[in-house]
Amino acid sequence: MNPLLDFHRLQTRRQFFGDTGLRAGSIALASMLGHEMASASQLQAPLPGLPHFAPKAKRLIYLHMNGAPSQLDLWDYKPQLQSHFDKDLPESIRNGQRITTMTSGQARLPVAPSMFKFTQHGKSGRWVSELLPHTAKVVDELAVIKSVHTTAINHDPACTYVMTGSEVPGKASIGSWLSYGLGSASNDLPAFVVFTPSFPAASQAQALFTRMWSSGFLPTKFTGVALRGQGDPVLYVKNPPGVDPSNRRAMLDALGELNHLNHSRIGDPEIQTRIAQYEMAFRMQTSVPELTDLTKESKATLDMYGDDVHRQGSFTQSAILARRLIERGTRVVQILHRGWDQHNNLPKLIKGQVDDSERACAALIMDLKQRGLLEDTLVVWGGEFGRTVYSQGSLTKDNYGRDHHPRCFTMWMAGGGVKGGIEFGETDDFSYNITKDPVHINDLNATILHLMGIDHRKFTFKFQGLDQRLTGVEDHHVIKGILA
Amino acid sequence: MSPRLLLTLLLLTGPTHAAGTLDFNRDIRPILSDNCFACHGFDAKKRKADLRLDTPEGAYAAIDGAFPVKPGDAQSSTIIHRALATDEDEVMPPPETNKKLTSSQIETLKRWISEGAEYKKHWSFEPPVKTTPPPIPNPHIRNPIDNFIQAELPKHNLSPAPEASKEALIRRVTLDLTGLPPTLQEIDAFLADSSPDAYEKLVARLLKSQRYGEHMGRYWLDAARYADTHGLHLDNERSMWPYRDWVVRAFNDNLPFDQFTTWQLAGDLLPNATLDQKIASGFNRCNVTTSEGGSINEEFVFRYAVDRTDTTVAVWLGLTAGCAVCHDHKFDPITQKEFYQLYAFFNSAADPAMDGNILLTPPTLRLSTPAQSKQLADLDQKITTVQSKIRDALKTLNYIDPATLTPPPPVATSEVVWFEDAFPAGSDLQTAGAPTEFVTQETGPIFSGKKALKRTATGVAQDFFTKGRNFTVPPNGKLSVQCYLDEKNPPTAVMLQFHTAGWNHRAVWGEEGAIPFGQVRTPERVKVGPLPALGKWTKLEVDAAKLGLKPGAKVTGFAFTQFNGTVFWDHLAMSSRVDPAKDPQWSLQAWIKANQGKRVAELPGDLQTLVRGKKAAEWPAPDAARLKDWWLENEYQGSREIIEGIGAQKLALEAEKKALEDTIPATFIMADLPEPRPSFIMDRGLYDKPTTPVSRNTPALFPPLPNKENASRLDLAKWLVSPEHPLTARVAVNRLWQQFFGTGLVKTSNDFGSQGAPPTHPELLDWLAVTFREDGWDMKKFVTRLVTSHTYRQTAQFSPENLQADPENKLLARGPRFRLDAEVVRDQALFLSGLLSPTMGGKGVRPYQPENIWEPVAFGGSNTKNYIQDHGESLYRRSLYTFWKRTAPPPNMTSFDAPNRESYCLQRERSNTPLQALTLMNDIQFFEASRAFAQRVLTTTPSTPDRLTTLFRSATGRHPEPSELTILEQALSKHLANFKTQPEAAQQAITYGESKPDPALNPSELAAWTLLANLILNLDEVVTKS
Repeated sequence: MNPLLDFHRLQTRRQFFGDTGLRAGSIALASMLGHEMASASQLQAPLPGLPHFAPKAKRLIYLHMNGAPSQLDLWDYKPQLQSHFDKDLPESIRNGQRITTMTSGQARLPVAPSMFKFTQHGKSGRWVSELLPHTAKVVDELAVIKSVHTTAINHDPACTYVMTGSEVPGKASIGSWLSYGLGSASNDLPAFVVFTPSFPAASQAQALFTRMWSSGFLPTKFTGVALRGQGDPVLYVKNPPGVDPSNRRAMLDALGELNHLNHSRIGDPEIQTRIAQYEMAFRMQTSVPELTDLTKESKATLDMYGDDVHRQGSFTQSAILARRLIERGTRVVQILHRGWDQHNNLPKLIKGQVDDSERACAALIMDLKQRGLLEDTLVVWGGEFGRTVYSQGSLTKDNYGRDHHPRCFTMWMAGGGVKGGIEFGETDDFSYNITKDPVHINDLNATILHLMGIDHRKFTFKFQGLDQRLTGVEDHHVIKGILA
Repeated sequence: MSPRLLLTLLLLTGPTHAAGTLDFNRDIRPILSDNCFACHGFDAKKRKADLRLDTPEGAYAAIDGAFPVKPGDAQSSTIIHRALATDEDEVMPPPETNKKLTSSQIETLKRWISEGAEYKKHWSFEPPVKTTPPPIPNPHIRNPIDNFIQAELPKHNLSPAPEASKEALIRRVTLDLTGLPPTLQEIDAFLADSSPDAYEKLVARLLKSQRYGEHMGRYWLDAARYADTHGLHLDNERSMWPYRDWVVRAFNDNLPFDQFTTWQLAGDLLPNATLDQKIASGFNRCNVTTSEGGSINEEFVFRYAVDRTDTTVAVWLGLTAGCAVCHDHKFDPITQKEFYQLYAFFNSAADPAMDGNILLTPPTLRLSTPAQSKQLADLDQKITTVQSKIRDALKTLNYIDPATLTPPPPVATSEVVWFEDAFPAGSDLQTAGAPTEFVTQETGPIFSGKKALKRTATGVAQDFFTKGRNFTVPPNGKLSVQCYLDEKNPPTAVMLQFHTAGWNHRAVWGEEGAIPFGQVRTPERVKVGPLPALGKWTKLEVDAAKLGLKPGAKVTGFAFTQFNGTVFWDHLAMSSRVDPAKDPQWSLQAWIKANQGKRVAELPGDLQTLVRGKKAAEWPAPDAARLKDWWLENEYQGSREIIEGIGAQKLALEAEKKALEDTIPATFIMADLPEPRPSFIMDRGLYDKPTTPVSRNTPALFPPLPNKENASRLDLAKWLVSPEHPLTARVAVNRLWQQFFGTGLVKTSNDFGSQGAPPTHPELLDWLAVTFREDGWDMKKFVTRLVTSHTYRQTAQFSPENLQADPENKLLARGPRFRLDAEVVRDQALFLSGLLSPTMGGKGVRPYQPENIWEPVAFGGSNTKNYIQDHGESLYRRSLYTFWKRTAPPPNMTSFDAPNRESYCLQRERSNTPLQALTLMNDIQFFEASRAFAQRVLTTTPSTPDRLTTLFRSATGRHPEPSELTILEQALSKHLANFKTQPEAAQQAITYGESKPDPALNPSELAAWTLLANLILNLDEVVTKS
């Protein structure tokens, strides 16, 4: 990003406030300005020149399955593996690749075929695991990418990589990039919202890091705002006990008047911005409770998501709130579902994970589709790497574990600009190496940007002497094969 | 944008020195750097067409008979042709780079070539030169800073602003030097002091305050990436705070910047290093570390060294070395090799790749008193003596592995009940929480006997005894207890805890992090399983060995513990069963079989590697013998009798040592491995692709390192602060300038390279840098010079002219005005409320934080998973002392742009968001402060107008205008009317927070004033330095 342009944007924004102040010319400015702001859509404007071209998707819902779901048990169907049960992984497949120190000391690397049945679904006839009965019903909407790969082999660096384009902390997250570039259509709600829902108690939950939704080197206001399952949905949105909205309004009116007086004395345009931000804060005090109130949702909609939709802080509730957010203009919603790290006891634990989340993913797709929102909303599902075909720990017919596997994993995308009902990329018979159409996670991020109307090569921000990009310094490519 | 504004912008940022002479560094280098150097610069690997434009040799040399740059002849210079070309294959820069030269840039290049195409070394790599301050005939000059600043103003039709009011000045400088506002008494005293040096006296007073070091140190802690957790994966707690306290001390003691530098980069290497010098070396241990299972050691050893190199280069040289990790720097003359030569200084650090998720990852320094050191040494001596006795005793054994006997020896079993219906008779029963309660058949569930223990808790609570009885741990002991959880009110976790030398044996069922004691994943805190089923008796079992309860050890206490909920306990018993032939504590073969290939934490380091990495058959005989000796002493139950007395002595001594160590603060320090680790250039920055070996050295563009042979970090530090160094002083003074004026003279304070911004006032920057060094790197003297300049003392009022001409205030025709940092915003509110605690230093505190900040992100087993808020004074400490968890820092800090401290931060963002408004209005910390602030004024000031004035003046430093007073009065009467009709609401509002409202005050009145104080703390003027 050219600093001049950034400055220009700041100026336009400040001039806007400046002019409004002059025209209003009275100390009863605050609430009036608030009203005007709502119609003027200036608070969270896109960068000049963005989007680079007409976007296919205007918003993004990113379902991050944290811990790395097993591609072998969900999507990457390998029927021939059954005959390799408990045989050693052929060295020709492993090919000397490094593996984590959790299994590198293991005497053997015995192949563990998935114990779950796969059947074909939809008009497209895609193979889907029995673990995903609801997702199977919307498979015609999905582009299932089986050849995603990364270089990190541990959770912390891998999560940081998939979300910020770099393994080393400090870069900006994809949601921050998008809200920085595209702003938000809402003046009452944040541009980028993050959920960290509950997860099954028995699961092996890995840590999340705020850097996964942090703005990194971008201005901090582009950091994702957590919509919380417990306590205030947005931090500090609720008035202190005993303070009612009329009291708050009276306080804000006086505050606005005093700040305005101060502005006429000092002349710093930043004061005008602060006045506007207080008005947005006040509006959020109403818009956030309204957002989280599901009583106006139809029974049919709620039934589609299932009973879990009423459980505060559940993945399912986060999913319906994601839809409600994007309806209200939020640009990016990210739901980070923890618990997919199944080093052992995988069959039982993965069942817990899909029971907690799978129906909601499918319901979200259907819900968006019914409302005509799917055509310009992009939905992404996936983890930070894949899992190994060989078992970690002991292997039996109905129990095994899988270690981290960065060399291939499956993600899916649906909605705005994505071809539905397709598969992209292929892996070898062991779901170990990619044999066709590899997709680096930064290719995936380039594709997300592309669908949102952004050329990832041109979308830069100068930091530490470099034009930083979400997709890093190496060259990456949009996955043309999945574009509608 | 208006045409006028555009013009102004170009004036300020663009090379439009139409009439003046061109300066290569100011006018030409930015154009070439931004558009050409990526392919025609320093990086030989990426260089296209063999053309380099960053040196005159490269640019003037003919290629195929054509001159890229022909001095004096723009028409014959191919770079001009290529810039003007319209053909996509011809034009430079190529279209795919998304770069394009503007016509004015091309004109500038043409002029430069016509005038002789003179090259200069990048400005910041030339040594700073102290010039005479330009003479200015002006009454606004207070020191040479003003000469430099005011010499520039007329060129932009600007003139210096008058001095700010005394009220504004005292608030500005007090906030800037202490991070807190002045008191009303201080303001009045300053207003009353009409002596000409009143302001200088004020500055001198502030510099003596201990608050100075706390405030200045905080900026440095951003640079040092200081925090209280490791930062990666589990993000467990680390003990680093003595380093933080040293930084504060160093500023208060005015440690000269050269020593400040040397101690931090090489304090451990100084001859006869003092305690403080060693603590200071912790700078290089503040980086994030991991212990994630599955990590590859070499990868993280590499990353830590890169982080340390990168941080040192950024903090002292103001350069971004990160690029050179993977390839030669494209813009600045640092080769990849040179990066790895710097890296070699840090690549021999002695800390391990895996931090072990422990509080004290070695090397660490215990800050023992002399008495404590002596005690420790005595204990070590005693342990050594006992150890040799044990060794002698073991020599008398004639061990035969029972696994080799036929028939194998018989199996034996037993059970001893430790708790049934009551704690052991004669024991000293205690609780943490309400008094102990037992239920009978009639009053609750019991499992066996006549009674069961019952407890209902909020948070952590327990029943326990420590004195009066003891139980011996049998070999192969298994502890079991019956547990019944209330269905309606289940706990989050339950725990059994045992006392031997200390309470260091814990078995947890349920959420591992809920009960935050003991080191996770050690016998101090073992997660045995999930929470048992609700509403029925469940037998919970755990092996005594897992809890570190060794056979023969005496258990002198046990505790039933829970987090929340209602729990019933019954029938705690120890059972044992021994099958010698299969038992790893009787059969060495069985032990080897069970542990082969695993990480056995109890083994000494080298034996650990042996057992983990090699099959038993491959063990060299001496190692196998040592392992056997270790096993006989520590595992083999047949040796218990022989070493019973001395073994117990050793356990007791070790326990005593640990208990003593736990009371002594400690901190991470830097140390090098005895043998340096070899360093290599890493191909494309990949840890597993070493190529050419390199030795320690500094980049060639700088003055040479004096002692190149066996150079150490100490040599590097001395080199940085040597008088010839062009960058260190400039970078340091620029960052201080940024701190006081909002923006550095070099705006990109972390990039002094060719991609960074050129200085707005190069002569001033150099003058400051040289003077700073000549003054013996005296930081207080330097700060005094800044704040006593007229430039600093100007009013911050924007005039329409200077807003138009210089919106960013680069030229400083007005005083600095910007939002206060997160910590200052909070500390100021606490200060005004009278709640702020003056206590300095110590372990990080945990003030108010909304529920569920740590929990939704933390790893289950992290010891920073559950935020347990402190109470009392800790809620009101300065923000600098707030416990900093890197993966989930305090939200009321981050929403005001505090960095997460995962990597160095040399320049904070200054955002303006609705979340800040919500925080200031509604956060319990700020709302409670509002109430205390209101209360303080109500109890000291009688009349309403006086109270309003006092509130307003305390926070802003100035008297309210009549119009402002009216607004405040109206707001107050609205709040009063509102709260008078809702006394309950008033009561709620004034009791929000742990400090108590004054009972003598009328609740409705106090509530109304609370909201008014809340309003005042939210004023733009109050959260801004003006």
